[in-house]
Amino acid sequence: MLNQLHETCRKLLEDGTVQVVIGYGQSSPDTPAYPIFVTRPEDVQQLVWNNQCFGNLTTYLTRKEVRAMGKPAIVVKGCDEKTLVVLEKESQIDRSQIVVIGMACSAVGNPPLAKCQACEVHMPRFADATIGQVENPASETDGRYADLEAFLQKTPADRMAYWMNELDRCVKCYACRQVCPLCYCETCIVDKNRPQRIDTSPTLKGNYAWHITRAFHLAARCVGCDECTRACPAGIDLRLLNLSVAKAAETDFGFRAGMDPEVEPVVGSYSEQDKEGFIR
Amino acid sequence: MSEVISQQTLSQLVDQWISQGKRVAGPTRVKPDVLLYEFLTAADQLLLNGFIRPANTIKELIFPRTEKLYGYRLEGKQIELYDVEPPATEQIVVGARPCDAAAFPTLDYVFNWDYKDPFYRRLRDLTTIVTLACRDHDEHCFCTSVKLAPDDEGGSDAMLFDLGDGNYEVRCLTDKGKALFAGATQSSDKVGKAGPGPEPSIDLDKVKQFLDTNFESPQWQSLSLRCVGCGACAYTCPTCHCFDIVDEGNAAGGARVRNWDACQFSMFTMHASGHNPRSDKSQRQRQRIMHKFQIYPDKFGEILCTGCGNCTRNCPVSLGVKPVLEAIQEIATTETIETK
Amino acid sequence: MSDNNEFEPKIIAYVCNWCTYLGADLAGTNRLEYPTNVRIIRLPCTGRIDFNLIVKAFEMGADTVLVSGCHPGDCHYTSGNYHARRRWMLFRGLLDTMGIDMERIHFTWISAAEGAKFQKVITEITEKTKQLGPYEAYRKVCKVS
Repeated sequence: MLNQLHETCRKLLEDGTVQVVIGYGQSSPDTPAYPIFVTRPEDVQQLVWNNQCFGNLTTYLTRKEVRAMGKPAIVVKGCDEKTLVVLEKESQIDRSQIVVIGMACSAVGNPPLAKCQACEVHMPRFADATIGQVENPASETDGRYADLEAFLQKTPADRMAYWMNELDRCVKCYACRQVCPLCYCETCIVDKNRPQRIDTSPTLKGNYAWHITRAFHLAARCVGCDECTRACPAGIDLRLLNLSVAKAAETDFGFRAGMDPEVEPVVGSYSEQDKEGFIR
Repeated sequence: MSEVISQQTLSQLVDQWISQGKRVAGPTRVKPDVLLYEFLTAADQLLLNGFIRPANTIKELIFPRTEKLYGYRLEGKQIELYDVEPPATEQIVVGARPCDAAAFPTLDYVFNWDYKDPFYRRLRDLTTIVTLACRDHDEHCFCTSVKLAPDDEGGSDAMLFDLGDGNYEVRCLTDKGKALFAGATQSSDKVGKAGPGPEPSIDLDKVKQFLDTNFESPQWQSLSLRCVGCGACAYTCPTCHCFDIVDEGNAAGGARVRNWDACQFSMFTMHASGHNPRSDKSQRQRQRIMHKFQIYPDKFGEILCTGCGNCTRNCPVSLGVKPVLEAIQEIATTETIETK
Repeated sequence: MSDNNEFEPKIIAYVCNWCTYLGADLAGTNRLEYPTNVRIIRLPCTGRIDFNLIVKAFEMGADTVLVSGCHPGDCHYTSGNYHARRRWMLFRGLLDTMGIDMERIHFTWISAAEGAKFQKVITEITEKTKQLGPYEAYRKVCKVS
């Protein structure tokens, strides 16, 4: 698989199809891979592919420094690829101006990350070049919201206590926001101060307001790449927040972000037939 | 001759300090894979082995992530202005790493420079730091490259050495340290030894030379390309100390608050006019490296880095200071660009 | 106003200008009494209601929040309440996961002609909140140390 990746990228760079390949590099085996930006054909040897390839590289597609480098080729796993669907629906990328190299992926992490256990996109679906094969393209799918459902067994008071404990550790480093490919607002709501809608202080109040806001702004957009959870230096389980909204989107609207490029996004549109049971 | 304390006696001491109403912090496993310095409610939460270092730092105790400075209260037409009560609770850290403690003598310069920061001073005076010398290191540690060591005594009031047999050698380095362990230790002939520490890998002179002459270098672009612009590095760094002052409140009351800030945020240098002198990521990364390895040393004679490696460990893309220094070193040596 | 030290809930009602606000007005002109615990905040449309407003209400000490607007199909701006309804369907799950007391957040459609409904809803909510007590849990979150 690795040779094929190198060859594909080398050709793309050599014949000028792309000016930069956004892929994974690694300083030594069994350490987390990190994003690299290859501009010269001879440097494609630096690209790696293994179960340490965390990181949703699509986050770089909306950054000005990377855009300035020219037409990109991007290495994606199935989960990252879902982000491309959403980004295109939101007119943030021009799919025709990106070469997508999809990698077949059985799982990342050792032990595999939570998201990998319920993954249905082990094989990329919309790539320009697909590399590798996975025997089972979709794992057991019922487990998608298992962690959330287990959490919801707690009483509301216990849930509140849990989040008071978790969010107490938040230092407002915004690693969650910065790694997220869908947090691409030029000025985030928390950075606006006329008026200050969300306290910037890392107090419980400010942390609650921030995380609720971010989860809401990602409603029915978050594809569940879980990068925010991995990036958090305080080990806060942000997954649960994103899963809550994703579950509502699927239960009430049959919608799953990033799965079907033809389906209209749920937020920003409406139907007169939307059914709920809580408004009297 | 040395002074030694058993694990059990140490635990009892910690419980005693907690019951005396002191704020005691130390490494603790918050979740199976999350190890942080936190305030303890019982000695059995304290962890003193099986890890390299916690993911956060102890600067929190002396330079809190959010700190009220002064405030106001409104009742009807009465306005009351108040200063925040100075803290009075003693703080003790047990099991800090030398790379955490060594930050404080370095930070003392800037917090006692043109303005003698009373908030910092008060908490610094109230805090006693007991470090745990390192037996191990990982690939991110580089204390030995910044003139420190796994048993460096900077900032420590007392240092523990794990003797491997359920006992610790205690070296009391200051009066505070002596007071803390008075009567709790026993004489012994066992002497603790720290691990060798990482092989020094950074030539600081080469780095300084590059920094002195390459402000406008286009290399900064490639050196910073993968940075996502969060504050994980700055907030988990023992020596980073930038802060933002904000006013928070409503009609009933409010306060002026000091919060941590990070130079990697895109709005860090945003002026009220709308001009941003560091609008590019490469400028911000350059600033971070230069502040730590050129500006602070030129001004105060100290490197603003203890080689703890937290920046790289916590960085979502494994950047941090060491990879950039290594890249700079390579550029300075070979004059070629490495896309790392 | 309370005579004893009985708990008087603070209820924030975010209402749309064209339906529920006028409905509340109608209740007033018809002399339909409803508890004075409610503080009405008028917005052009429920479509304007940012979930942040609900969170802020709790931050500022509200014990219960009511969100109310025009019936589907009657929105003064045609579709504002449809957008609002969709948003609320997505967000309730999140608030529930956070452990926020869902019995303290109410959504209603109250038209300009439904003064009686406004009276009924406010009375019920106030009674309910009196039973639930003050929303101490969120105030604990907001206590800035």
